Amino acid sequence: MEQLFILTLDASNFILAIVLVAMGLVIIFGLMNVINMAHGEVFLLGAYTVVLVERAGGHFWLGLLLAPLVVGLVGLVVEELVVRHVYHRFLDTILATWGLSIAIKQAVVIAFGPASHTVTNPIAASIEIFGTPYPVYRLFIMAVAISVIGVTFWLFFRTAFGLAARGVIANRDMAACLGIDTRRLDRLTFAYGAALAGLAGAVMAPIMSVDPQMGLGFLIPAFLAILVGGAGHLAGPLLGAAAIGGTDTLTANLWSPVVAQIVVFTMAIVVIRLFPRGLAGRWLGR
Amino acid sequence: MLTIEGLEAGYRGSRVLNGLDLEVAEGRIAALLGRNGMGKTTLMRALMGLVPVAAGRVVFQGRDIAGLRPYAISNLGIAYVPQGREIFADFTVEENLRLGLVGKPGGAGAVPSAVYRHFPILAERRGQKAGTLSGGQQQQLAIARALVGRPRLLLLDEPSEGIQPSIVLQIAEILRTVAAEDGLTVLLVEQNVEMVLSLAADCAFIENGRVVARHAAAELARDREILHRYLAV
Repeated sequence: MEQLFILTLDASNFILAIVLVAMGLVIIFGLMNVINMAHGEVFLLGAYTVVLVERAGGHFWLGLLLAPLVVGLVGLVVEELVVRHVYHRFLDTILATWGLSIAIKQAVVIAFGPASHTVTNPIAASIEIFGTPYPVYRLFIMAVAISVIGVTFWLFFRTAFGLAARGVIANRDMAACLGIDTRRLDRLTFAYGAALAGLAGAVMAPIMSVDPQMGLGFLIPAFLAILVGGAGHLAGPLLGAAAIGGTDTLTANLWSPVVAQIVVFTMAIVVIRLFPRGLAGRWLGR
Repeated sequence: MLTIEGLEAGYRGSRVLNGLDLEVAEGRIAALLGRNGMGKTTLMRALMGLVPVAAGRVVFQGRDIAGLRPYAISNLGIAYVPQGREIFADFTVEENLRLGLVGKPGGAGAVPSAVYRHFPILAERRGQKAGTLSGGQQQQLAIARALVGRPRLLLLDEPSEGIQPSIVLQIAEILRTVAAEDGLTVLLVEQNVEMVLSLAADCAFIENGRVVARHAAAELARDREILHRYLAV
């Protein structure tokens, strides 16, 4: 029983981190039809923002606060300089953002070196859950993720900005003809999606080794979550991440991490074969 | 209020409009008639900035709007009801109407009650998904969505397409009332002669991307020969 509870907590942790990364990807893909291959490096930049702040003598919390802002700003610049010039050429967006991901990774290697960095864990305490000690910081990560998911849903389903963004996603030309500035929305949503990934990188930094490859470990499950969950609805990554993250943590614990990879990929293939539009496409319509 | 001079526009490799001239006077309902493929829809899309203008001028209230982006044209006071309606099927009726407002300067407010007064069926269905409405109701929604932003000029592309004749006349009636109340100027593109004659004051005929004739609607109602000349296949 206790074992199962801890396992569920671990799974939720992984799931929520995937959701943070995947949601930004889905928003950008839905609005601009751009598959952002550099999203993992955006995650990376969030973590390195914290490293930089700590190096300069700042506290972790300052880094956590700055990371989404800095990375969101990077998103704005990237959108303006790269993405907006290619967003109507689908294949080119993949190549351009892939190139961007290599460039960011190398820039990080030049600036910080290839070795891994550690970020201090700001809440080192543990809490006893059913007699087993559980790190409080992991609970904090979950709280952050749940809040961010809540804010994103509120933004997209309860505000005028969200209505306009969903309008652009559904029919770009018609939305523009109704007076909606689609360029401005592109810019804002790209920056918002980047900021989400940056925040994810920063909040995960204390429990990971911060190195130039860390983005990949989240980008792949995030892409899988979108494929399994469906890109047509904001709830898609939620369902997909639950399926991917849950299966992965459970199998890895009961068996081994290698078997978990096999099971997760097999499940993804089966789900995509049965529901080409993803789980959300199956249950929520469009 | 709208003067189009020597407008040339089209798609890659094929020019559809070949020096089109047209004038729509303030507060009038003008109709543009012509057979399929003559450039009616391309004209509407060029006016909205959806099709690039290659040459010529589009002067709206004294300002050349050729080359502006669609959202800027919309915010100057031109609203567009496209062919096939293009309503947001997965959104509720009310969300569709609010989408006509959110892009307008300072326009995140509620849907004006006058719109629901003119289109009572939309008030009744306001919480319903727009995709579940009948064709005639969807057309009313598309028109209402264009009107919520209080435009000065309304561009209507084939509003009668795929709608029962009785509903067509009903929609024409609503449009006449709205236009008279708000002093709205309308440019209508239509194949349905009954709708044109019941609504428009001025008519122009388009052929191969040019306006080839102009007549008052009253004249056309008396002499159907003219219609036959330009519309018969």
